[in-house]
Amino acid sequence: MMVESHERLLDVLRNRLGLRGTKEGCSTGDCGICAVLMNGRLVNSCLILAIQARNKRITTIEGIGTEEKLHPIQRAFMKWNASQCGFCIPAMILAAKDLVDRNPDPTEDEIRKATSGILCRCTGYVKIVEAVKTAAQEMKK
Amino acid sequence: MYVPEDLEDLLQYLDEHQTGFQLIANGSDLINRIQRKQINPKTLVDISGLSEFNYVRKEGSTIKIGALTTISDLLSSPVIDSRHEVFREVAARFGGPSIINVATVGGNVCAASSSEDLLPVFLVLEAKVKLRSKHGERTVTLEEFLKGKRLTDLRPNEILTEVMFEELDDNSACAFEKVGMRNSLIIAFVNSAVRLTLEKGSKRVVDIRIAFNRVNGKIPQRARKVEEKLRGAALTEENIAAAVASLNSELKLSSDFRASGEYRTNVACALFKRALNRCTEKLIGETIIV
Repeated sequence: MMVESHERLLDVLRNRLGLRGTKEGCSTGDCGICAVLMNGRLVNSCLILAIQARNKRITTIEGIGTEEKLHPIQRAFMKWNASQCGFCIPAMILAAKDLVDRNPDPTEDEIRKATSGILCRCTGYVKIVEAVKTAAQEMKK
Repeated sequence: MYVPEDLEDLLQYLDEHQTGFQLIANGSDLINRIQRKQINPKTLVDISGLSEFNYVRKEGSTIKIGALTTISDLLSSPVIDSRHEVFREVAARFGGPSIINVATVGGNVCAASSSEDLLPVFLVLEAKVKLRSKHGERTVTLEEFLKGKRLTDLRPNEILTEVMFEELDDNSACAFEKVGMRNSLIIAFVNSAVRLTLEKGSKRVVDIRIAFNRVNGKIPQRARKVEEKLRGAALTEENIAAAVASLNSELKLSSDFRASGEYRTNVACALFKRALNRCTEKLIGETIIV
């Protein structure tokens, strides 16, 4: 795939590849809504030039689960009703994945820190934290 | 964008061009500045692929951090042990995971503005930076390197490759404090680092270094007059009060859209006391200022 040198990873994902699960928020790295995984670690796709993502493994929310087979984190978010408007949830789920992939037994504090870069303006975070706890337990089974 | 094949190719490119380009590591600060039209480089030179500059190692008593080490990499390094907890204190206030996974130590140093949280810490550790060009390598102190706001001693044909400093010994501790609009992920109104060495088993100050993100103007600097006041003195309430008073006159903090100078000065004095307390807590297990 060829990209223009000025294109951000976010633009390429959404506009070229049609992966609209990744949302654009502030575009300044403050809100974290556009987060994706790059080589398994959470990054803001608005602050990364697409060309700098060459040879890197990018995971968006579309790569986490399918409608038929949701990822345990997605199931846990549904169980806890952890999504209200939903705009931050793709990033939130990826942040949770980055955490539980490296730390299968996170504490509440660790969950709060891991999701701290992503601003959710409706849930109040409590259900999100509970959902990540549940997901971590499910994934250990 | 120019993507050099290797270090040699990069240094050759810089030497030939000298101007019209901007180095980019992972871009967490730079992309913002380009989007805000603060800079408008013709060509970006991508150094993110130079993995040889991603390391944290200890040689003798010197800790060396490669310029392309991310804040996350720094934290997960075994070299950053409990004695160097101060880097965890910085990282907790630096930014969320999606920032610290990307932001590099070299980028933070080269950005050279008052918002770079690592700078006060490196200043009190009396860090040096290693600069490399096609023609060789030189080492300068961080203090010499920081020339002004967004202004460094980096020559057009050079890159910064390493930050190094002496590790903290048993009688020394370092602490970082920051106040901004929110708890973390935010540009500081004021931040401060203190490095304290006490005489073993006493409260006498052998050495103290104090830095703020602004002292006079908009670059991080040491508060040397206050340091001198406290060096050799005992950490009594009286001596500390005198030091804080002189801090008040040494700091020339300006007002901007984030905070007023007066507020900044008050906060700076409070942060200094907090950081000093945390140092003594680490060293002798007690706080000394109420």
